[in-house]
Amino acid sequence: MLFLQLLINGLQLGAIYALTAVGFALIFGSTKVFHVAHGAAFTIAGYLFWWSVSVQKWHWAAGLALAVAVVLAFGLAMERLVYRPIQRHEGAFFTVFIAAFGTQIIVQNLVGTVFGRGFETVTVGLSQAVEVAPNLFVAPIAGVALVVALVFFLGLNLFLTRTHVGTGLRALADNPDLVRVYGLEPTRLAQVAFALGSVLVVPAAALTAVTQGINPGLGAHIMLISLAATIVGGIGSLKGAAYGGMLLGLAESLAVWKLDPQWSEAVTFVILFAFIIFRPAGFLGRPHGAK
Amino acid sequence: MKLKAILGALGAACAIGAMPAAAQDIKIGANLPMSGPNAEYGDLFGSAAALAVEHANADKMLSRKLVLVIEDSQATPQQGVVAMNKLVSVEKVPYVLSAFTGVSKAIAPVGDKAKVVSVNGGGIGPDLAELGDYFWNVIPLVNLEVLALAPYLVKEKGWKKVALLYVDDPAGEAIKKELDIHVPKNGGTMVSSQQVPRASQQFSGLAAKVREARPDVVFIASFGTQQAQIVKQLRDNGVRQQIVSYSAFASPTVTQLPEARGALFPTQSINWNGDALSQRVARDWKAKKGKDPNAYVANYYNAVMVFVKLAQALEKAGQPITGENLLKQRQAMGSFDVVGGRMTFLPNGTVSMPLQINEIDGGAGKLVKGNIVVR
Repeated sequence: MLFLQLLINGLQLGAIYALTAVGFALIFGSTKVFHVAHGAAFTIAGYLFWWSVSVQKWHWAAGLALAVAVVLAFGLAMERLVYRPIQRHEGAFFTVFIAAFGTQIIVQNLVGTVFGRGFETVTVGLSQAVEVAPNLFVAPIAGVALVVALVFFLGLNLFLTRTHVGTGLRALADNPDLVRVYGLEPTRLAQVAFALGSVLVVPAAALTAVTQGINPGLGAHIMLISLAATIVGGIGSLKGAAYGGMLLGLAESLAVWKLDPQWSEAVTFVILFAFIIFRPAGFLGRPHGAK
Repeated sequence: MKLKAILGALGAACAIGAMPAAAQDIKIGANLPMSGPNAEYGDLFGSAAALAVEHANADKMLSRKLVLVIEDSQATPQQGVVAMNKLVSVEKVPYVLSAFTGVSKAIAPVGDKAKVVSVNGGGIGPDLAELGDYFWNVIPLVNLEVLALAPYLVKEKGWKKVALLYVDDPAGEAIKKELDIHVPKNGGTMVSSQQVPRASQQFSGLAAKVREARPDVVFIASFGTQQAQIVKQLRDNGVRQQIVSYSAFASPTVTQLPEARGALFPTQSINWNGDALSQRVARDWKAKKGKDPNAYVANYYNAVMVFVKLAQALEKAGQPITGENLLKQRQAMGSFDVVGGRMTFLPNGTVSMPLQINEIDGGAGKLVKGNIVVR
């Protein structure tokens, strides 16, 4: 029964990791920008959702709408005001990384200053587990997390495969020069990638605020998981990032089954190292040199 | 709302000692977490110390203005040592407020070598009593807290099976060691002990393991935002047993958490309506913060006031205010009238004071059992 319990907990956690990882993978895969500030978008979304629902007592949909609007603006502003000027001056990968990392720290401190440095949570009945079988507790939010993740992934998949902009985004990931040849503007497509990628953190941040609570430093942890999931899934593959996020969530939860709890997070990195050594292209990534 | 909050935070930063000190001022240091996941404690401890500085200056207790210089320990031993070196070598303070067991153990040798007094008001590890003459504690250490709590849980309440979740940190290890001794000594059993990494934020799996152990009571030995996350996730994941902890549960993050209602934790016994000093601190704290003070406020207020009383005596005797002289003066005076009553230092630099058990009730807290004397 413990295994089943941990499996259910892992699926819920994996859905949250997958949503965040897919957002990061979409941005990184399409634009090659190492958007470490993706974690900052997560923090902003989580706090705005908490502030709207728990402090202002707004409807949760209004909280989500506010979070979407602000992280959308944040993602677009990062692309337009931070990354694009650096890339225009042929800024190195390292410069982009430092700029994004700096943004992450600034946002963490600003959020702490404005909302406080303590722990905040959105208390709703959905997060409270009920005993569905002897010693098996399931919270309705676990189902919500899985359904939300599935809906977002299906929607994203439809957008990327059935629309011109989506096709352009996939082309941008493969060959930006060819995109120009076909008359598409890579900078506009990059803006779409940042907008979509940023919006994907909103459900994950709201679910985190409900299930485990938030603090200003949460973004760094989320970023680490997103990065690990992207590598495990295969850089450039959104499906791979989703599977990677789900695998890491399951592994973190199931680790407790046989190992001491202090190994639960280390398992993430054991998996990461295993993939780097034995399957560097990840689940669904292309082997090096393949086109 | 945001502008107001930012201005408020800037005001608070000034109020808790961010103002530059003039050469003639008397400076004391504070090595507190002002950023990171434990920054909430730094705000609380620093604000309490700042209130004591404000009172000392308003009452002209010293010949010159007293200034508090705060450095950020981030609650990590490494950063704590960096901050301590700056306070000792650059700011040249004779007296430093400290917090957190790990940080306090790391900075004690720096203070000892430089003959600078470090005073802990937040860390609870029993080995903080053994860090040398220049390391003092104004908080009862966890061996005393467990001595007060274990008989209450096991004998009075009949909760014999105890499950422990403890952080992989000197404080968590110290609490485990004390519980492993005192729970069986009182007739109880430790049915489960799960160690959690300090940075861990996911505890739903642990909740399942706790449920499997079928304890009567769950002891949470963590601190900062993590302890609140543990409480929430245990409750959300079907753990209905009584939750207990140590004095770190006095943090507003926990006391205001709906899932923490009913949780029990010990602190030193303080009657805020007792003497005039306690009443003044309670009144001024409420005016500034809009809420009642807790034991940590008393600790850091008292830590500063102990310095002020020692420095007063040294000034009267015409001696310089150095760490060495502060130590000699403390050994000579022994006891101090501070918030909560009279505080007496033991020869090892710790204090002995009555304890109480509190229950979180969503407000200022409910006194469950008071005036517990342990040795």
